[in-house]
Amino acid sequence: MVKKIFGYSYLYLILLLSYIPILVLIVFSFTNATYIGEWNGFSFKLYADLFQSEEIIIALGNTVIIAIISALVSTLLGSLGAIGAFYSKKRNRAILESLNQIPVVNAEIVMALSLVVMFVAVGSYVFHEQIFSFWTLLFGHVVISAPFVYLNVKPRLQQMDPSLYEAALDLGCSPRKALNRVLIPQLMPGIMSGFVLAITLSLDDFIVTAFTRGPGLLSGENNIETLSTLVQAKIKKGPIPPELRALTTIIFLVVLIAVILITIYNNKHKKVNKKRRTY
Amino acid sequence: MENKNYIIELKNVSKIFEDETIAVDNFSFYVRKGEFVTFLGPSGCGKSTTLRMIAGFDFPSKGEILLNNKDISNLPPNKRPINMVFQRYALFPHLDVYDNIAFGLKLKRIPVPLKDENGNPILKLDKNKIKELKREISLTKKNKHLSSEEKETKLNELEEALKVAKENEVQAYKYKKLSVREIDEKVARALKIVDLEALEDRDISTLSGGQQQRVAIARAIVNEPEILLLDEPLGALDLKMRKDMQLELKEMHTKLGITFIYVTHDQEEALTMSDTIVVMKDGVIQQIGKPKDIYDEPKNAFVADFIGESNIYNATMIKEKKVRFLDYNFPCVDEFQVNEKVDVVVRPEDILIKNKGEGMINGVIQSKIFKGVNYQYIVLVGKNEVMVKTTKEYNEKEEVGLEIEPESIHIMKKDFTTNIYTDAWINKENEVMIDEKPFKCNILQLVEGGKFVDGEIVDKKNKKYDFNDADVVAEVALDKIEIIDDIESEDALIVGEIVDSVYKGDHYQYIIRTDSEEDFVCVSNYSYNLFDKVGINIKPEDIKLRLKKEVNNYEI
Amino acid sequence: MKFSLQRKQLCIPYFLFLILFVVLPILFIVFYAFTDKNGYFTFNAVVDFFTSTNKINVLIQSLLFSVLNTIICLVIGYPIAYILASKEFKTNYIIVMLFVMPMWINFVLRTGATRDVLTRLNISGGEHPYLATMIGLVYNYLPFVILPLYSTMLKLDKSQIEASMDLGCNRFQVFTKSIFPQSIPGVVSAAQMVFMPTMSSYVIPEILSEGKIVLFGNSIYIGFSNNQWNSASFMAIIMLVIVGISMLITRNFTEKEEGGRASRW
Repeated sequence: MVKKIFGYSYLYLILLLSYIPILVLIVFSFTNATYIGEWNGFSFKLYADLFQSEEIIIALGNTVIIAIISALVSTLLGSLGAIGAFYSKKRNRAILESLNQIPVVNAEIVMALSLVVMFVAVGSYVFHEQIFSFWTLLFGHVVISAPFVYLNVKPRLQQMDPSLYEAALDLGCSPRKALNRVLIPQLMPGIMSGFVLAITLSLDDFIVTAFTRGPGLLSGENNIETLSTLVQAKIKKGPIPPELRALTTIIFLVVLIAVILITIYNNKHKKVNKKRRTY
Repeated sequence: MENKNYIIELKNVSKIFEDETIAVDNFSFYVRKGEFVTFLGPSGCGKSTTLRMIAGFDFPSKGEILLNNKDISNLPPNKRPINMVFQRYALFPHLDVYDNIAFGLKLKRIPVPLKDENGNPILKLDKNKIKELKREISLTKKNKHLSSEEKETKLNELEEALKVAKENEVQAYKYKKLSVREIDEKVARALKIVDLEALEDRDISTLSGGQQQRVAIARAIVNEPEILLLDEPLGALDLKMRKDMQLELKEMHTKLGITFIYVTHDQEEALTMSDTIVVMKDGVIQQIGKPKDIYDEPKNAFVADFIGESNIYNATMIKEKKVRFLDYNFPCVDEFQVNEKVDVVVRPEDILIKNKGEGMINGVIQSKIFKGVNYQYIVLVGKNEVMVKTTKEYNEKEEVGLEIEPESIHIMKKDFTTNIYTDAWINKENEVMIDEKPFKCNILQLVEGGKFVDGEIVDKKNKKYDFNDADVVAEVALDKIEIIDDIESEDALIVGEIVDSVYKGDHYQYIIRTDSEEDFVCVSNYSYNLFDKVGINIKPEDIKLRLKKEVNNYEI
Repeated sequence: MKFSLQRKQLCIPYFLFLILFVVLPILFIVFYAFTDKNGYFTFNAVVDFFTSTNKINVLIQSLLFSVLNTIICLVIGYPIAYILASKEFKTNYIIVMLFVMPMWINFVLRTGATRDVLTRLNISGGEHPYLATMIGLVYNYLPFVILPLYSTMLKLDKSQIEASMDLGCNRFQVFTKSIFPQSIPGVVSAAQMVFMPTMSSYVIPEILSEGKIVLFGNSIYIGFSNNQWNSASFMAIIMLVIVGISMLITRNFTEKEEGGRASRW
């Protein structure tokens, strides 16, 4: 019993501690004060400010666009890579696996630096003026996320009954149909979690973005600003700008709702028995 | 043509995998329409590979597979009118029962002949056939296992066929999907056959093993295949369920009237269900026959040991139709050369127990086990154990006489009389290399009156020899190979795995296979389990050597 | 054979991608590390690095921070993962999600928030740079430790724990002889999630110490921004070597895990 009380208190204490900074931001997003800790009465003014701040909206837009595109590309490359590797010869698979492991274990800053060095070295021959753009940024993000997609799909492949694919062929599928109708649906949970992870990695990324970005997207002629780079530039000079507190609250709510929806979906999916067919 | 009846025929089929292991070796065999055929053998005997080649998951390295007299060796599985029930069912977990069963039907396209307004057939070049032939040509060109002449004849045939296909127009077809109603009806019928009505909306994960098994069968038969392949389909079920399913499958076979090819390692299953059994070992057919023939007349000790229980003894033909084992000369019906060493197999239920002195031989009952239908006795005759099954009750320690009818004594050629290694050679240290491992041996046996003089081999005429690198044939008798339990010890000259064991009354005969697939056959009084790792020791004086070339090639 | 060929080919695009955007760039920094601005071969960057006490100090300081951060995160995270995974405590999935959820809020924002709160508590980076940075690092990396530990703990072999009790272990011995050895793969992968990222972290020390503490990541970043590509490249190579060494050390553990998985199939 003592052990239980001790355990629970520890658990909730750490949980509380890890939420303090976020909670503080959330609480002080509902007052119009320059610094946290000051309470000037309840107000939604910061939210209004937030939606009027062009640079934040642009950064937010850029971040989401990059996250979705890079996650889609990473998911495609990583999933197909995992499927292909799984059915390759042992030696080829081992080679791909170790290549895949490099970005996973390597320091992000090394990856970022090496990409930039290569882009500049190669780019100065190919494109003479503007080397960095949305595309270099996209490649950077795919480099950090695709390996994780691969790692998420691989265990699904290993757990899958190898005869499923053969059964599909046996029942008349061409190899391509077998891939679409059996293999991909079977791997879907792994592919999806890989996709979510890829989005997470991209949303959160600072280093690779800071290194590889160029002008483009919503930033137009200027270097692409994402949430990470924008916030970093702001907080380097002083405390978090007040309207970003409002943004934190919104992000927190979105994440919370997403988590709840995913949990509900997972639970339902397990229980519900599909109704079907009445012809 | 006589083989019109054959639905499928395998002609000299071999399968060699990329790592050079030979899974199936020169397999020739046919199946008649409507037959229930079982491939029976221990794991790794090539039975599943053969099935997979019939299904189209593996292609033969050599030989041909004919379906209704047409070569389908290189046809992909989705183009064969053959369906399979997989070992672990391989049901699609993301689909429910209905969709699993309808899977094949939804892919099916029914050819409808094209006609013009006047009702005359429309003729076109057969593009599919041309594509198929082109693919086959490129596959044949890449095949490493065919000799150049074989390749040339095959390529010529294919090119000829391609030319014909390119020049002649044939009836054109359009391909129609099955209607939803047709699919519904077929699924319902299949569910009825496997006794699963009303389960069509269930998720696969909510089904029991037996139900999954039935869905797997329904999913295969709903496509109305010409041949149904079953790869150990009952392996995952418990004993009671397995017995029920055996009978049901047999019934289904009769009802559907299609050909079943069944793979199992369970001899009882094979005996109950099949019209024909193919016993396999190491990729080679050991025996093909009706269940009763295989049980009563096993062709060799392996088949005898694998199918049913049996007593196996080393024996010698002492006269015509007289064979000596258990220290008695038994009359028999098989004819073998006089003095030939043979294996003898006697089924336990074929041995009659008599009172002491009234049988051919006498023994003492050592143990008695009640088996439900009958008793199983182990009778000690001299040093040999004899297993007897009978319904009559005797007591332990009782002295009894035993009698064996001549027809019940099955005499077979010996599998192994001695170990022969044809690719052995002599190394610098005058050791013989067997399986690329050095064995000390008596090198002097290679020359007449040989002896060592100053470390050199000299014969009686004082000629000197150097056998370094000489190719030799090494021979070791079965009883001269000693099994070493401690594989780390120095005595263990080679380490291998026990891949085969046969009990021969008073000793075991084992085959020990090394990593490089060299076999050592040996005998031992001790019992080992299959796949035990053991070492082998051979005494130098027990290795008999024979030079491959003339001895004077090594004179110096 | 034809269809297996087609499946194999699916990995070709990814293979080319990895070669072009992972392997090739690394070759480029190797090239840059051992050349000068004009592309001539030189050991300047090497000599520079090893003769600069400043840079060596940064390396040592980063190593210390990484080791300390890894240990603190493991010490805090291990009991949490154990409690979350244990049947005794009826925690549910929601609480696990709560621990992981901060990961989805932009980490630069979180870092800023941490700094602002710490400043408010008088632990500002200006006055206590080491403490502030350490808190920031632990705060950021804790979820990364809990997750792998938690999934390993879920897979603990219950019968092995029961067997050790049956054989006479007391609670403490059950932990040291059964639970902990079983959870080592999780500990190793958790440590991997923290160690290298800490060394190369840029934003956290920069913001929390108000620029007073320079870790290896910052140092590379600075070199890069000041156009000292050759020395930045050489420092990146040092990082690569450390990655390699840590891989070699942890390889035994992860390989065992892999082997176990592979042998099942």
